[in-house]
Amino acid sequence: MKKSIKIALALLLASNVAMASDQFSMSEADKAMYAEMLENNPADIMIESGSELLEANVGGNAGLAKFLKVSEDELPKMIASFPRYMEEFKMVVGLDQMLQGAMSANGHKPFTLKSKEMFEMSSYVKSIANGEPMSIDIHANKHMEEAYALGEKTFAQKRGGRGLSCMSCHSPDAIGMLLRTQGLPDLGAPETKAAATWPAYRMTKSALTTLQKRFQGCMENALLAVIPLGSKEMVGLEVYVTEKSKGHTIAIPGLKR
Amino acid sequence: MSKRKAIIKIKPNKYANGEVVKVNLMVMHPMETGMRKDKETKATIPAHYINNVKFVYNGKVITTMNVWESLSTNPVFTTYMKIDGEGELSVTFTDNTGEVNEKSIKITPKG
Amino acid sequence: MQRREFFKKLGVAAAAGAVLPSLALSNEAAAPKPKGPNELSYKDAVNAITGGKKVVNSPLVHLKAPEIAENGAVVPVTVEVDSPMTENDYVKAIHIFATKNNNTRCIDVHLTPANGKAMFATRIKLGGTQEVAALVELSNGTFLVATQSVKVTIGGCG
Repeated sequence: MKKSIKIALALLLASNVAMASDQFSMSEADKAMYAEMLENNPADIMIESGSELLEANVGGNAGLAKFLKVSEDELPKMIASFPRYMEEFKMVVGLDQMLQGAMSANGHKPFTLKSKEMFEMSSYVKSIANGEPMSIDIHANKHMEEAYALGEKTFAQKRGGRGLSCMSCHSPDAIGMLLRTQGLPDLGAPETKAAATWPAYRMTKSALTTLQKRFQGCMENALLAVIPLGSKEMVGLEVYVTEKSKGHTIAIPGLKR
Repeated sequence: MSKRKAIIKIKPNKYANGEVVKVNLMVMHPMETGMRKDKETKATIPAHYINNVKFVYNGKVITTMNVWESLSTNPVFTTYMKIDGEGELSVTFTDNTGEVNEKSIKITPKG
Repeated sequence: MQRREFFKKLGVAAAAGAVLPSLALSNEAAAPKPKGPNELSYKDAVNAITGGKKVVNSPLVHLKAPEIAENGAVVPVTVEVDSPMTENDYVKAIHIFATKNNNTRCIDVHLTPANGKAMFATRIKLGGTQEVAALVELSNGTFLVATQSVKVTIGGCG
């Protein structure tokens, strides 16, 4: 008697789970429809604005190449190697912080890291490297090694009331499980290309969002104290996740739920 | 005329006379429904949406649209048109506040 | 006792199973909201266009929308109609409706033979799980319709 009840219950639970996954994982046709939307990515307009902002504040691609001490031809490869250590800043920086420096050098007050203008300009700058493979070098120097190590640590650090870390959802154990219809992405998998497709247009927010800003959204929803943009830990996280996409082709802007 | 940001894209990039091409229009617009509340002030955000779009190709109206607030923020409109000579495709879009914008693209058929 | 416990558990399990599908419907269950400036039901909106003329379900109208929308804010919708698009035989208009939104009208697209192809695509907002409808008016005055049900979920995390 006891045993049969257990079996009945197990079957009931199993059928519930199966039903949930049948109904709530997206079909291939649906996924294809969302993929097609890339052809018309509203972020293209924002990237166009970013190009105008770079022109006005840094002297366009030529001004940026000069600031980075490379030729304009070498600019895409240079951009594809970010985040990287820069002697001028004495630290590892992402494109946004590098651009703050470039604005200063051109006599302009830098945009804040969280400003719409900075999102647009840094997204445009990353799009200059479209078609290039991500070429971050975490062994370039001890600063990069430290940033990577800090990022790796931060990724695994359990925090907040629920004791969650990035790993809770993005470890090999969790990857592929469904979180409200969405497969949890493997941040290093070729189909995710995480760092290569951020900045992206977030459809739920109707806004251009950078990788660091996305990390913040994740932290907020998982009830973790939000790490500031551009902080050592945040840049470390970007370095860590970027290393996972190393070699993948940059395609900016992405289009995400 | 105000200058709301918009992009018109013709696909494929190269096309010949007589060919039917895809026309993509994207506009930066909040498309407010008039039903959302401001999180802080709790005041209702007034409706603000594109209500009309008109496609004119070399002086001829080829497509018109009545638009409502149910279209997504930063809306996308994809239609088709038959290439019929060199010239211009001009798109005029107005919103419910009376704002009028125009965006155009050169049409240059090859061969 | 065992039996009662079993039913208790059964109740819990059934409730857990029900949570996910009801999420999508939560908007409808919420307190009545202002219905917006352009409230119009699907039936009234269709009648305003057709003047009460017969509307036929037709395989000539291909309506494509996701069965499961990963968010309600941006739902891709494509309508294609099999039509030669000549002066004598073309699609005059494609109307898209979100049948359960307060204002069910999304867009009316008026076409001409110069379009060359009777196809239109856009992205719409859906207030909850519902049917999306495409009403098509042909140049000979007939009305065709196609519908598709779209389940709106709150996908992923934030």
